[in-house]
Amino acid sequence: MNRRRYVLYFSLITAAIIALTWMNIAWGSVDLSAGEIFRILGGDRSDVMHSNIICSIRLPRTAAAILLGGALALSGYLLQTFFRNPIVGPFVLGISSGAKLAVALAMILVLSGGKEIGLYTMVAAAFAGSLIVMAFVLLVSVRVRSMSILVVCGIMIGYICSAVTDFVVTFADDSNIVNLHNWSMGSLSGINWEEIRIIAVITAFCLVMTVWMLKPMSAYRLGEAYARSVGVSIKGLRVMLITISSLLAACVTAFAGPISFVGIAIPHLVRSCLKTDAAHVMIPASFLGGAAVTLLCDAIARTVFAPTEVSISSVTALLLVPVVIYMMIHRNDRNRDV
Amino acid sequence: MADQKGIRTDHLHIGYSCDLIRDICIEVQPGRIVTLIGPNGCGKSTLLRTLTGELRERGGVVFLDGKDKSALRSGDVVKRMSMVMTYRVRPELMTCREVVETGRYPYTGRFGILSEHDRALVQEAMEWTDVAGIGDEYIQNISDGQRQRVMLSRAICQEPEVLILDEPTSYLDIRHRLDLLQKIKDLSKERDIAVLMSLHELETAMKISDTVVALGEGKVLRIGTPQEVFREDFIRKLYDIERADTEYLGYEPWFEDNDFTGETNRNGQAIPSENADCNIRVNTLPEKHSKARPIMIQGTMSNAGKSMIAAGLCRIFAQDGYRVAPFKSQNMALNSFVTSEGLEMGRAQVVQAECAGIDPMVCMNPILLKPTSDEGSQVIVNGQVVGNMSAAEYFRRKKEFAGDIRKAYEKLSDMADIIVVEGAGSPAEMNLRQDDIVNMGLAEMIDAPVLLVGDIDRGGVFAQLIGTMDLLEENERKRVKGFIVNKFRGDPGLFEDGIRILEERGRTKVVGVVPWLDVKLDDEDSLSERFRAVPAKHFDIAVIRLKHISNFTDFDTFEQLEDVSVRYVSSPEELGDPDMIVIPGSKNTIADLKWLKEAGIAGRITEKAEEGTVIFGICGGYQMLGRSVEDPQGTESGGREDGLCLLPVDTELGNEKERRSYSGEIAGATGVLEDLKGAGVRGYEIHMGRTLPYEDLTEFTSGGTGYCRGDIYGSYVHGLFDRREIMTRVICAISGRKGAEIDVSRAVDYEAFRQTQYDILAQKLRESLDMDYIYGLMGIERHDD
Repeated sequence: MNRRRYVLYFSLITAAIIALTWMNIAWGSVDLSAGEIFRILGGDRSDVMHSNIICSIRLPRTAAAILLGGALALSGYLLQTFFRNPIVGPFVLGISSGAKLAVALAMILVLSGGKEIGLYTMVAAAFAGSLIVMAFVLLVSVRVRSMSILVVCGIMIGYICSAVTDFVVTFADDSNIVNLHNWSMGSLSGINWEEIRIIAVITAFCLVMTVWMLKPMSAYRLGEAYARSVGVSIKGLRVMLITISSLLAACVTAFAGPISFVGIAIPHLVRSCLKTDAAHVMIPASFLGGAAVTLLCDAIARTVFAPTEVSISSVTALLLVPVVIYMMIHRNDRNRDV
Repeated sequence: MADQKGIRTDHLHIGYSCDLIRDICIEVQPGRIVTLIGPNGCGKSTLLRTLTGELRERGGVVFLDGKDKSALRSGDVVKRMSMVMTYRVRPELMTCREVVETGRYPYTGRFGILSEHDRALVQEAMEWTDVAGIGDEYIQNISDGQRQRVMLSRAICQEPEVLILDEPTSYLDIRHRLDLLQKIKDLSKERDIAVLMSLHELETAMKISDTVVALGEGKVLRIGTPQEVFREDFIRKLYDIERADTEYLGYEPWFEDNDFTGETNRNGQAIPSENADCNIRVNTLPEKHSKARPIMIQGTMSNAGKSMIAAGLCRIFAQDGYRVAPFKSQNMALNSFVTSEGLEMGRAQVVQAECAGIDPMVCMNPILLKPTSDEGSQVIVNGQVVGNMSAAEYFRRKKEFAGDIRKAYEKLSDMADIIVVEGAGSPAEMNLRQDDIVNMGLAEMIDAPVLLVGDIDRGGVFAQLIGTMDLLEENERKRVKGFIVNKFRGDPGLFEDGIRILEERGRTKVVGVVPWLDVKLDDEDSLSERFRAVPAKHFDIAVIRLKHISNFTDFDTFEQLEDVSVRYVSSPEELGDPDMIVIPGSKNTIADLKWLKEAGIAGRITEKAEEGTVIFGICGGYQMLGRSVEDPQGTESGGREDGLCLLPVDTELGNEKERRSYSGEIAGATGVLEDLKGAGVRGYEIHMGRTLPYEDLTEFTSGGTGYCRGDIYGSYVHGLFDRREIMTRVICAISGRKGAEIDVSRAVDYEAFRQTQYDILAQKLRESLDMDYIYGLMGIERHDD
């Protein structure tokens, strides 16, 4: 019965990703016909403008949506596993904000020095920022057992980071501000193949590591004590979970700015669809689900008010916040039942 | 006991940032349930969480499976130990089956993929705990009772040797609590798992535990059987309710007014307290599952005749159609017996079992002490050698053995209607009273009425009986339901005044005056009267009375013959001129061999051998007959000693004790016993070491267990002479050589001989004891029809 559900989910989600990929490539300020797209993808570069639109703009953007969306969802799933709480995600816990602050600082520092900011610097800064925030959240989580306080704490940290970011922006040069503003809104636009390569490497690495941790993660679902009693190295698992989820969140933030609520909502949605929380199903399912939803949101962000683009974060928020709210209410209901 | 299974702590300190409890020494053996009780915050959970590794030990050592736990790899620990905790687990959308499957974690590969075997085990565990039907339900949706069962099957899946449970019944209603505890009990017994758990419900702890550990006031307050721990004053002190009104609690089994007994409570019914008139208790025999009725025989001193009275009672009850079993918690004896499983136990219970008409089982005598030196003894628990201990060490560890005794008794009580329990020594050994597990402590544990036996032959029977009574505690005194005056010579009618005085002054009924009985039973220990000097008869057998003589009942069978004397000799002068010399078994071959030479007996034996006297060596004696006895591993005292060089064999002592029943034949014989060849032999072997010939030699007892040359015979087989055929042929052959004729026509197999002796004993006891009263004590009403 569950197996049928899994097969159904995976075939639907794959179909959705293919369809959305097609949409993202075909639609936009310039609509392209199927024949044209196939020609260009087939290697025909005769129409320079159209082939540029597809190869340099829409294809990398679509790839980024898939990879980063998947990364976010995966990051959210890992954090939810770690805290054993379904209402946490990289954005809620302020990890994305931390990454954002660190990237902002790095940008202003480097750009005001008159240099171009390198991709690796961005990723490194984002990773550092997210780790710092994560460390802080962990510190809090050790002291307070209550999950709601933890979430509130994360949101507060998010605000502090935003405030500091604003602060920094106020004293920055105009050109920096434009750069920073675009980035901090959260957008997949302007991503090039070089960036995609880095994203792909990081995401693939994290995916492999996640699969590597599959077994301890399953055991960890019963809580620390039981996990330890079957031989899980708790410390090792925790370090791995934190590092990988932070790395994923940092990667997303570095290249696309903060994209909100994908990390928290997608694993939850997937879980409700599949009616399981088993890690070996949830990891690929979350990844694909995140990819599909991000593709959809990006398509909306690009096309609804075309040619004006709205920030992808706004779309994800509008689309996913209701899910999160529903989820919190539902969860409370259930807790009362039991 | 580093080779012990289960879990053991050695001076363990526990706590978070400072020591909460120090020096915890507890042990849980496979198949045992040990329960922690104590007020909230006393450290129960802390202790359990320290054992599971969640908290660090603050000092001391935890031994898992006999190994230092901190030195074991995590993977090895989790294959030996699993746990069920008190808190509710709430993983989202995790099915019960998935939960149970995590128990297989230590056994699966890198990605945790379950094999067929794993799946089968999961299924089996779930079926066993009755949760297979809800395997696909989410754990968050099932009831607390089901959830704890799921957690238990998860723990089973882990195939542990040790199971740790922290208040497993906390959220459960009565029914689920019962269910779960039953499962835990079954688990520990069926799968031989050591269970350590904490419980809040005292009545539950009392019923399920083999041993209870009470924690409080920052220390281990008491460790013992439920009966020892659940005393009202102690429980009140433990929970600090000494003056509190406990009205709201309702009935609590630990209230002393309720006259709690293990038996009644295990059946879940409160039997009214045992009043003066015992006959009103329960007049029917126990139903199938209820426990046997015990009766306990205690003596005013060693050799007061407890064993014999107990043996006689076993026979009487058996004759009256009951299933009877003897029991003695602890035997101190050199003379042990090997059961068909190869386990060692005291001979007295073997005799009693024979009287009862059942096979001897090691649970009839769970603890056997074999003195090896003046200070130390070899301690044998449930037939297995645990090690050598000094008296002080044994005394210190007695509490640990209480659980073994209880378990053995319970096993026995499942098989019998009546258990005849024998005490050891005297119940009034004031210095040994604490943690007593052999006399009154045992009587208390199993709630047995006691008959006290005094020995009038040695004099002072009034002082013995009344003095013993005076030295007992009030509650112990109440247990003594009758006196038996034993070994009375002459007309018992002349003792009527004595009976009156005893009953008046001792305020206890005299159940009977037993005459001096010349019944030949296997003796209990080396203190017995058999070593009295006896005159040599027509056929004279000299048994060398070694310093460390053991298993000397081998020669009892000869005593059924009028014309045969069996003399135990310990000097060359005493040796005289026997027809046959026997060197018996020894607990310390090398020491006895030295002594043999120093005392000059060795020389005399060699001379006699040259003169042609038949010489038998049994077991240790056989070893001594050889060229040398070597002890390379220091099993006894190490070193090497030259033997008597009468047989060309060498012995090397080893660490492994060989214990087995023997069934074979006389493979070959030389000298005067040549005709013995082919005769069947039954007996048993019990020795450490191997004896091998270094020359071509005739095999005596088959299977390489003995060799002979000329008139020198050596064998490891005890009970060699028990069969009539062998015994009579030995006597006839040897006496025939010197032209004498010994009447062996009335000889029987030792087995048959013993059976008739038992019947004689039973008859005599029936004549002198008030059997109706004794049945009444056990709550059994006899209808003579």
